[in-house]
Amino acid sequence: MNLERLKMLLTSFGPSGREEGTRKTIIDLIKDHVDGYKVDKVGNLIAWKNGNGKNKKKVLLGAHMDQIGVVVTHVDEKGFLRIEPVGGIIPQILYGSRLNFNGIVGVVGMEEEDGETFKKNLREMTFDNLYVDVLQDVSKLSVGSFGIYDSYPIFKEDLVVSPALDDRIGCAILVELLVNVDTPYNDLYALFSVQEEHSLVGAAVGAFEIDPDLAIAVDVTDSADVPKAHKRISMVLGKGPAIKVMDSMSVSNPKVVELLKDVAERNKIEYQLEVLPFGGTDAYAFERARKGIPSAALSIPTRYIHTPSEVCDLNDADKALEVLKSLVKEEIDL
Amino acid sequence: MKKVFLEDLSNIQAISGFEDDVVNYVKKIVERHRYDYKEDFMKNLTVFIPGKSHDFKIGLFAHMDEVGLMITRIEDDFIAKFAPVGGVDPRVLVGKKVRIGDKSEGVIGFKPIHLQKKSGESPSFDNLSIFVGKTSKIKVGDPVFFTTNFTACGDFYVGKAFDDRLGCAIMLELIEMEEKFPFDLYLSFVSQEEVGLRGSAVAAANLDVDLALVIEGTTAGDNPELEEAHWATHVGDGPVLVAVHSGYVIDARIFESLKQIAKKNDIPYQIKRRTAGGTDAARIARTFSGIPAGVVAVPARYIHSPISLISKMDFENTFKLVKAFVESEVALI
Repeated sequence: MNLERLKMLLTSFGPSGREEGTRKTIIDLIKDHVDGYKVDKVGNLIAWKNGNGKNKKKVLLGAHMDQIGVVVTHVDEKGFLRIEPVGGIIPQILYGSRLNFNGIVGVVGMEEEDGETFKKNLREMTFDNLYVDVLQDVSKLSVGSFGIYDSYPIFKEDLVVSPALDDRIGCAILVELLVNVDTPYNDLYALFSVQEEHSLVGAAVGAFEIDPDLAIAVDVTDSADVPKAHKRISMVLGKGPAIKVMDSMSVSNPKVVELLKDVAERNKIEYQLEVLPFGGTDAYAFERARKGIPSAALSIPTRYIHTPSEVCDLNDADKALEVLKSLVKEEIDL
Repeated sequence: MKKVFLEDLSNIQAISGFEDDVVNYVKKIVERHRYDYKEDFMKNLTVFIPGKSHDFKIGLFAHMDEVGLMITRIEDDFIAKFAPVGGVDPRVLVGKKVRIGDKSEGVIGFKPIHLQKKSGESPSFDNLSIFVGKTSKIKVGDPVFFTTNFTACGDFYVGKAFDDRLGCAIMLELIEMEEKFPFDLYLSFVSQEEVGLRGSAVAAANLDVDLALVIEGTTAGDNPELEEAHWATHVGDGPVLVAVHSGYVIDARIFESLKQIAKKNDIPYQIKRRTAGGTDAARIARTFSGIPAGVVAVPARYIHSPISLISKMDFENTFKLVKAFVESEVALI
């Protein structure tokens, strides 16, 4: 994994529905390494490399560009903002933290008129009792302005701690694939999708447009290697990428699951199997596009998803990259 | 702008799936003109106004259906039970007169205050019934409609079904203008929005438009008991632009160009402060290779109940904004 490119992706601005910053970053990174790319009608970036295989398949690999964020819903006469979530931000994480409105940083405060209210609002925190103090002229912001966590990536040995690893780690894997694979056997279509965190609209449209033979979402999944983690999951950091069998929104196509397992095993790449009793990915939208597309997901186990400090093991990302490299270089028989 | 379309449309009774009377009304108006229109099996009706250029196609969408109820069970003693069609708060139903099917009328009742053990017992769909008199005239599956009559009241219009007959009225007004717009214009009157954005899915798939604008009636939520910072929109502050709603973050280019067009034409506007609730834009955006979609709405108080209220000026200004949008030469950047 190229850390400079990963850092650029992690620090780009791209809340759901406002992905221009991330899209531009990706275009700059890949444009000299692909056979073509385009931005579709809803803002997805689609980049491709033509395969030279005799029995080549059209493979869609997807990662979403967007990250969870907030949108300004009210600006009062003193310049304090009210916000609502765009995607799965929980209010408890925001109190006392900083938000970045594409360059303008604000601090999140909570209403606390008296002791009782303070305690009650702490216990039952909602977006209704939080506000944002931008500590400066707010004239550049208005109702409808978007924000993200104000945080930054740090690297500790093989671990990366950062906001937006969901799903810039997936974007980074696809960028590395496009940069490093010269001529694939199969036609490789990388879909950098919009609005996954909000509504999966990008994946639905992108899969229709590409019309692939199979589709794989590259995204993050939960990790069980922390105190009192979810009791029914098994994924852990550092044991390779997780091939998703099922989550609450889709059951992966068994043939695609077997294909991924087979590729990993033949190439001696460590992997895990994933069953997630909650959550979902772009694979949900892929599998129901057009007449139905065989779909699955390849996941990077991640701690503290949807917080400003998500944690991934870079070895897992590297191994996911190896699996996908082998996949696009070999003849696929579904 | 004439109020007759809004008045007529508001008084028509047509819940999701039973939009026929709105379809017929729209058809009657459209047939005064020479525009082609087409219908589909979902009862959607789309009118085509050819533009000066055919290089770009704009779709306008408004839904014909309103929320209501449906008979689920007929009991002895002249009583019928019912289920909601679309989002209806059971508490707004107590004491309302309704129409059932083609001819029958009924009254929705609840345990009288004298018999409630503690005050404030809450009505629910389980404990509400319609008193219908002769139950032999009705059957399971009959639609149940609210019956409020439209009135103009000072600076406001009061009536039912403003969500979304006001969108239908605005589109009819555009058709009546007989104007040639810069681009091809498709005006789609769609069905079954209130039960899950169903009609628009089929309508959008049958059109091949480059851009969609949904015209809606939206929640005001500017009730005095709420703090201003928590309102959704405010009646009287002008057309509502939506940045984010359930199921779709509105296309940034359309959102921004609506703002610019409003400013340029001195039309007041407000941006919706709540992100809950969705519109047909969420469904249209997902069609095939994607259709960028925007939303403009008239703020309406007490929607999804038998009575709602809008400001005359908001309604006029929303029409002006939609008209300015389809008249503008700016396509998607």
